[in-house]
Amino acid sequence: MTLLEVNDLRIHYETSAGPVQAVDGVSFSIDEGENLGIVGESGCGKTTLADAILGILEENGYVAGGEIRFKGEDLTELTGAERRRIMWDEISMIPQSAMNALDPVYTVREQILESIFTHRKMSKKEANERVDELFELVGLDPDRADDYPHQFSGGMRQRAMIAMALSLDPALILADEPTTALDVIMQDQILKRISALQDEINSSMMIITHDVSVVAETCDRVVVMYAGKVAEEGPASTIFDKPYHPYSVGLKGAFPNIRKPNQDLVSIPGHPPELVDPPTGCRFADRCPLATDVCYSEDPPEVTDHADDLRTFCHHVDQIDGGFRDRADERATWEETKAAREVSQ
Amino acid sequence: MGKLEFAIRRVFQLVLTLWAVGTMLFVIFRLMPGDPTSYILSPGMDAEARRQIVEDFGLNAPMHEQYISFLTNAVFLDFGRSFHTSEPVQDVIFRLLPNTLILMLAAFTMAYTAGVILGVFVGASRGTKFEKGGIVLALVQRSMPTFWVGILVLWVFGAYLGVIPMAGMRSPGASPDSFLAMVFSLDFFWHLIAPAACLAFYAMGYPLLLMRNSMLEILGEEFIDVCEAKGLKRRTVLFKHAARNAFLPIVTAAAVSLGFAVGGSVLIETVFGWPGLGREMVRSVIRRDFPVAQGAFIMLAGFVITMNFIADLAYGYLDPRVTYD
Amino acid sequence: MGVKDEPGESIFSDLEEYADIGDDRTKLQRTYELWRETLAEQWGLLKQDALVVFGIVTIAFFAVIAVIAPLIAPHDPLERQYGADGILISQWFEPFWLGGEGGHLLGTTAEGYDIFSQLIFGTRPALIVGFAAAVITATVGTMVALTAGYYGGRTDDVLMRIVDIAYGLPLLPTVILMVAYLGPNFFNVIIAVCLLQWRSSARVIRSQVLSLRERPFVQSARVAGASDWRIISRHIAPNVLPLTFLYAAFAIGWGILTEAGVSFLGLGDPSQVSWGTMLQSAHTYNAMSFGTWWWFVPPGICIALVVISGFLIGRGYEEITNPKLRKRH
Repeated sequence: MTLLEVNDLRIHYETSAGPVQAVDGVSFSIDEGENLGIVGESGCGKTTLADAILGILEENGYVAGGEIRFKGEDLTELTGAERRRIMWDEISMIPQSAMNALDPVYTVREQILESIFTHRKMSKKEANERVDELFELVGLDPDRADDYPHQFSGGMRQRAMIAMALSLDPALILADEPTTALDVIMQDQILKRISALQDEINSSMMIITHDVSVVAETCDRVVVMYAGKVAEEGPASTIFDKPYHPYSVGLKGAFPNIRKPNQDLVSIPGHPPELVDPPTGCRFADRCPLATDVCYSEDPPEVTDHADDLRTFCHHVDQIDGGFRDRADERATWEETKAAREVSQ
Repeated sequence: MGKLEFAIRRVFQLVLTLWAVGTMLFVIFRLMPGDPTSYILSPGMDAEARRQIVEDFGLNAPMHEQYISFLTNAVFLDFGRSFHTSEPVQDVIFRLLPNTLILMLAAFTMAYTAGVILGVFVGASRGTKFEKGGIVLALVQRSMPTFWVGILVLWVFGAYLGVIPMAGMRSPGASPDSFLAMVFSLDFFWHLIAPAACLAFYAMGYPLLLMRNSMLEILGEEFIDVCEAKGLKRRTVLFKHAARNAFLPIVTAAAVSLGFAVGGSVLIETVFGWPGLGREMVRSVIRRDFPVAQGAFIMLAGFVITMNFIADLAYGYLDPRVTYD
Repeated sequence: MGVKDEPGESIFSDLEEYADIGDDRTKLQRTYELWRETLAEQWGLLKQDALVVFGIVTIAFFAVIAVIAPLIAPHDPLERQYGADGILISQWFEPFWLGGEGGHLLGTTAEGYDIFSQLIFGTRPALIVGFAAAVITATVGTMVALTAGYYGGRTDDVLMRIVDIAYGLPLLPTVILMVAYLGPNFFNVIIAVCLLQWRSSARVIRSQVLSLRERPFVQSARVAGASDWRIISRHIAPNVLPLTFLYAAFAIGWGILTEAGVSFLGLGDPSQVSWGTMLQSAHTYNAMSFGTWWWFVPPGICIALVVISGFLIGRGYEEITNPKLRKRH
């Protein structure tokens, strides 16, 4: 059953230079118990998307169109009070950096209790037992719950945040770069812990990251975003083994691959375009080795018949299988784009 | 460094500052160019009285002896007797200090309650007309001289509308049984409200602006997003989380502004004829009643120094992150 | 203490690189140009703020009044006026537009002085005190801050303890004592008013210097063997300049308010008219009870206008120099 359905969502930020179209016509859905990864460079609209679902956009940001349906109900049409009832109870979050995600002047216990008491009628004793239980669940000593956040290490704070996110057994957890602030070993531990817990309470999760390997380990489906739009969407296995969007192919090559340890890492030269006045046609064209004139003039079509359950927005899907996948492992391939030539000049 | 060690070091600093202020006073009053007695003695005094005062005050003793006895006496708050009334300075101080403290306390409670709450809202409404208005209001409050505001209040509410008394701390006929009975009387409140409100009007701009700046910083922190995502009410996020964190710098700032307010109280007490220590200091300076001026000054300075000290300690208590290193 | 306010990062540190282009100019020229650039850039930002422009225009207006005071003032501010019957005025005249005798624009005081003339001449001491306070706060405060922050160690300790002691002194009472014992002439009032003004600028700018000292561009200059003076004048001072100006602008307001307060208490220069002494005599003659508002309202408005102008300029500076206060979009 579909839990969250995002349809043609548009989010703008009002700035002095005009509205920034941070998210522009994005659609995807998450089924119950499913994990969705949102991948892309910073500034591609991932975090904005999460903020919009959570209802915590910056003051100058607003939903300019589309809908966010959660259990059939459009969140963008709810009043503040109706929305607050759902927040955390049904949709919780694990924020980008747990370092600053906890209020420094209250103990961790007080903060978890606050989220419980905001949504549930419960005796103090029951709630405290719940906190202890959550602490054990995430692998923390319940005696430490009465400490202040600054007495915790980075990894402990992240675990505490996870405990808080799980406190009300939410149906959906949004995790924004849940592990970037941690070292590799800790990352692995935390990811495993999240997956295990999630199976236990059968919640869905949306993981936002620029790190493809995180998604590979934890997600069922993946949305690749570029410059506020969906570039490609499909099962995680397909996107990792056989992506069809040149950007997905490039991203894959930008991270170390266990199966090809000696391979050079590629990087995609250039930056995503400014979203105040986005270019016409495909937004990736400037940085794409396959770009032709049509990419600069027409929006890329949605291609669905090239692989099972995969949606790719590209004019040149047919060229991917024809040797591009192999060429993409070489740096030289990416030096031929317009953006790369501008950089080298 | 532990909290205790920090506190001890802070006490040393307190003593050092008090000593420095005392020494400075000693130097100002005694090492001025010319004959030190000419600052102290009124010209009309006859030779006998003059000799007596010089003797009483130990002004003929060697300078270092004078200095030591000055410091020892100051520790026991013994500043000699008034040249004018012969009343011990200590008595004058203890009679007038409570009046000043009550006025300050009333004014500061009003100023900080209003200023901090308004600052929270101004800080939370970034980029709106309300924000701009709040900032300008705070600057206007701080630009208008307190004594002038006092004069305006006396003119409008005292003379024109006749709803507040023109001067003093109690009505001429009133003779309360005790100090406490007086403080809790309606008559006292009636006299207190205008000077306290004037002082508060001036003082609230500072916490307002500070709170606004501090709120802007805190509202950009990630934990505020988490609080909002938790489904907390806007009011809870603003006051329980944002304001509580933003409030920390205000505590330290309050001490500094209390220093200003002690200065400001001199003016307010003069305008409203409030029998406080500040007004007494000015009057004794003008009539060259040197022991009273000196005693009042040391008390006012001691008050400021103590407030700074308390603020530093309070800051550590309120912010669990402070490590004192 | 462990938690400290991180001073706003200067947006001008990159100018440093700019100044290193071209070696045909003398060191002095380059230093001069660096400073000029910094000032020009800040001015460009400042004049976008309507409130800052209001402040500058107001102060300029009062400055013009101060210069041409004798041309505008109809009377000598300290010359008692005579009524139509040739007798010295002993009770005030109302302004002529309220039917008062003698054609005085704002009437006369109880002692027969022309209020409008006093108001005009009152701009002079106000602006001089404001200017002096700004200059002294800027120079003394910045010097102390640069010395303490840059050299650190014992120098820093001693200077900061002195600042602590200065903070222990209640402002107005200290000024009152100083004026009383130095003697009530205008120069002494200025000295006394400026005596404590530098303490806040010294404290804040020092913490800025402390953080600048650890920045890469200062560290690299040091490794490259630049002298202390060169590092301070070329690399650190231009970066604390915005803060210096901020405190100077605020000091205009504080200086004028303090001077007015001292004068109001009757400790001002008796041979000179200031807005504070005007309010003092109005208060002494209990003008409030008689409702002679034309006597005590205008001086207060003038004080408030000049003071808020200083604050608005300082405020504008603060919004520019503290990135945390700047708009995110």
